[in-house]
Amino acid sequence: MHSERWLPRGFLLLLAALLALAAWQWRNGPPVAADMLALLPAGSGDALVQQAEQRMQEPLNRDLLLLIGHPQRDQAIALAQQVGEQWRDSGRFAQVQWNVDSDLAALRDYLHSNRLALLPTADRQLLMEQPQQLIEQRAAQLFDTFAGFSLLPIEQDWLGLGLRAQQALNPGSRIQADLSSGALLLEEPGMTWALLRASAKGSAFDMQEPPLIAAQVAATRTQIETAGGQLLAAGGVLYAAAGQAKATREISLIGGGATLGTLLLLLLAFRRVRVLVSLLPIGMALLAGCTACVLVFGQINALTLVLGASLVGVAADYPQHYLSKSWSNAEGSEGWSSWGALRATLPGLSLSLGTNLIGYLALAFTPFPALTQVALFSAAGLIAAYLCSVCLLPAWLRGLRLSPSPQLLSFSQRLLAGRARLLAKIGSAPLLVLLLLFCAGGLWQLHTQNDLRQWLGQEPELLAEAQRIAELTGQQPTSQFFLVRAANPQQLLERQAALSQRLDQAVQNGQLRDYRALSQLVAPDNQLQELRSALSELPPHWQPLLDLGIPPAALQDELLELQQNNQASLEQALASPLGEAWRPLWLGAHADGVAGLVSLQGLSNSSELKPLIEGLPGVQLVDRISELNALFSATQLSAAELKLLSSIAILLLLCLPFGLGGALRVVCLPLLAALAALACLGWLGQPLTLFSLFGLLLITAIGVDYAILMRENIGGPAVSLLGTLLSALTSWLSFGLLLISDTPAIANFGLAISLGLLFCFLLAPWAGTRQSTANQAQTL
Amino acid sequence: MKRLLAGLGFWLLSQNALAFDLDQLSAQLAKPDVVRGPLIQEKHLRALPQPLTSRGQFVLSRDLGLLWQLQSPLKQDYRIDSQGIAKRTPSGWQQQPDQDVAAQQSRLFLAVLKGDHSGLARDFELQLSGTAEAWQLRLVPNSVLLKQIFSRIQIDGGALVQRIELHETQGDHSVLRLPDSQAGDALTEQERHDFAQ
Repeated sequence: MHSERWLPRGFLLLLAALLALAAWQWRNGPPVAADMLALLPAGSGDALVQQAEQRMQEPLNRDLLLLIGHPQRDQAIALAQQVGEQWRDSGRFAQVQWNVDSDLAALRDYLHSNRLALLPTADRQLLMEQPQQLIEQRAAQLFDTFAGFSLLPIEQDWLGLGLRAQQALNPGSRIQADLSSGALLLEEPGMTWALLRASAKGSAFDMQEPPLIAAQVAATRTQIETAGGQLLAAGGVLYAAAGQAKATREISLIGGGATLGTLLLLLLAFRRVRVLVSLLPIGMALLAGCTACVLVFGQINALTLVLGASLVGVAADYPQHYLSKSWSNAEGSEGWSSWGALRATLPGLSLSLGTNLIGYLALAFTPFPALTQVALFSAAGLIAAYLCSVCLLPAWLRGLRLSPSPQLLSFSQRLLAGRARLLAKIGSAPLLVLLLLFCAGGLWQLHTQNDLRQWLGQEPELLAEAQRIAELTGQQPTSQFFLVRAANPQQLLERQAALSQRLDQAVQNGQLRDYRALSQLVAPDNQLQELRSALSELPPHWQPLLDLGIPPAALQDELLELQQNNQASLEQALASPLGEAWRPLWLGAHADGVAGLVSLQGLSNSSELKPLIEGLPGVQLVDRISELNALFSATQLSAAELKLLSSIAILLLLCLPFGLGGALRVVCLPLLAALAALACLGWLGQPLTLFSLFGLLLITAIGVDYAILMRENIGGPAVSLLGTLLSALTSWLSFGLLLISDTPAIANFGLAISLGLLFCFLLAPWAGTRQSTANQAQTL
Repeated sequence: MKRLLAGLGFWLLSQNALAFDLDQLSAQLAKPDVVRGPLIQEKHLRALPQPLTSRGQFVLSRDLGLLWQLQSPLKQDYRIDSQGIAKRTPSGWQQQPDQDVAAQQSRLFLAVLKGDHSGLARDFELQLSGTAEAWQLRLVPNSVLLKQIFSRIQIDGGALVQRIELHETQGDHSVLRLPDSQAGDALTEQERHDFAQ
């Protein structure tokens, strides 16, 4: 026939174009992204909130923190220096810092002119409420050998405000610079830890860098352990590297396992090596899916690849539609011809594609970028697999004499006979009641659980090290923070100062360990006014200083200077050497004014934050984790709605060949199967997560295949059941393998689909018409 | 002949220079088990005509550390040992944060008094001159950070340390005088108690 000639050629042309496109996409290495969190839905906030989130997230992604420990202080410092230099020379990092070579002169200058504005709350109160005590403490300090190291010379800081401000600059930090080497040290009994900070160049989440950096950390670890030390490392890059390694492992396991399984199954069933060309649609599906994703999104996420690898099972289904028909002729495969079988099964095959597409595309309408990617990947993959099965395979299978295993057919016949006996004894209705009872019981026990942690695979070792580092440094940045908006910088500082007052209270109550606000770096004008008026009340109290011989003129001069000194503006302060730690908090000016953040440390309970900001204008709590968890729950509902919609779409599609009654029957079966799978989760004590729900969403689409195969009933029920069985087995192979994934979200998805497919297969025979049952009676 | 004489002269000179070296100084200062005596601390500020002077007592134990007891005008006791620096409060010794710059200074201080030159050599360039009876040790910081704090430290002594001068980069300097130190061989009951807590 004419079409038998141009179809394969046309397809090969298409394939060549696809290959060329893919090769071009891969010209700079694999366009694969490893950032799992990028697949989470964007926050609901406005542009400013998103900017703030990005600002807070960026250092977590790019920065790497190492603690290099050694029982001997000198050794720890030497090791940090050695590693620091090696890392700097590696050219892999934008910045490597292991010591401070602070320019003390600049620091002194800034501290001197801004000491009043830098005073911490407690000292401000002392100055305003107990000036006498402030003076007495200062007088004692001047005679104290070990009162503390002061950056400012005494004659520039008679009142000691500079020393107080200086001591507040590094509040509660256990990290101190070693005076001789400048190394940043943390002392613990029996161990000195030297700190090393590095920032990865570019994004931590491109595919190339994280493994290289992880390898460098591993090499450094060996080096330090050989020297008798210990290394702790934490950073988003390491998580990215681990996630990437895991994804690669899982993709090859799942994809490879499924392909190998399908290969064995084909050999076992058809006993001809050439039948293996029907694995070709799998390759086509993966190639097309990948290329489509890169084309649309610019890159493909590793998670999409893992989930997409499970598509192998579905793509392998299409050739089964016509290959399985080789059992239909009594004389074996003599009467089977590839194009003939295709023509007979083409309507069913096309229906399968249609329903599968509807199911996968439904995923695209969830608010999760992850699932949008999976949907696109799968839709493109399925179309390619379908085209390959329809256009190319029959040509390559032409003239092939399949030798289908007769045992399989008789096994299938025995299954059907068993079913017929069962139905004769009990009848369909009571079985249905039993199933519904099973479902009711399971649903009763089902509980839902949604947590961001399911999204992230566990990396216990990385986590333990990160926790140890948090313990040692006392730095536990929280993902929650405050976004403060104002009309101008002055108002912003006032608003942050008002918020700080409440946060001080929270710190005192132990709800919070610490926080960082712009108003700590630059006091708002109203606060400065209070301090300046308190200063003018100071002279009656300063007799103890005069008694030391300090000339009254010196004190007067200092007072005058403190009252008249213009303090740095917010932007000047941020640009100063002191401002570094505060720089990320400033979001700058935008159309409606300015905005800045307040970051938190060591939060005990995030729910205590909300009441804290009541009545504070312009202050917003940004809590991405709670927001995401809430979104997960809300999405469950929309996923259920989507499922309903996709079922209706499939129903409409199936009405064309089967009529309303038949279509209803064919659609209801996978829905019932999904329900039973849900019940199974309940009986198994497994939680219903958003991801298992997404899995069930797919069941309708894939499971309806089996019902179609049975309903079309080409070659008799036993042959159709066998085709269904082969389809189901290949799907199980791939989705079942998702269960081994370390990422709870993926494993959950795999479990739900595997269970659903099992029920789909069990229920599929009910899709047959009465007539086909009659046929079956005849054949038997 | 001239050459020989010159050579001989050089040999004598170098012998002389080596006559009292850092190891010997360390050994000399480490000899007594206990050193105690009065202390006078003077802070010379450029802006003040007379120094800010404090007085007190100190006890240095070779094995246990240093007790630094300021008596006038400020009353305040410190204890510096391998654990770091502690301050006496009404409720007993209170360990000061070990990471503090002050704690590092106190460690330096202990090294100076004990003549622990290996500890000092890490942070300073050391120049020793004089004899065992009258020596002078000059410490010049060699790290960028320390250089911005001290320009030099000068220690004078004989059998024991007598005087420490700290010159700050910004122009002020402090003098610690230990004018009447006595070597002893045992701690008193009270001193032992102070070190033990």
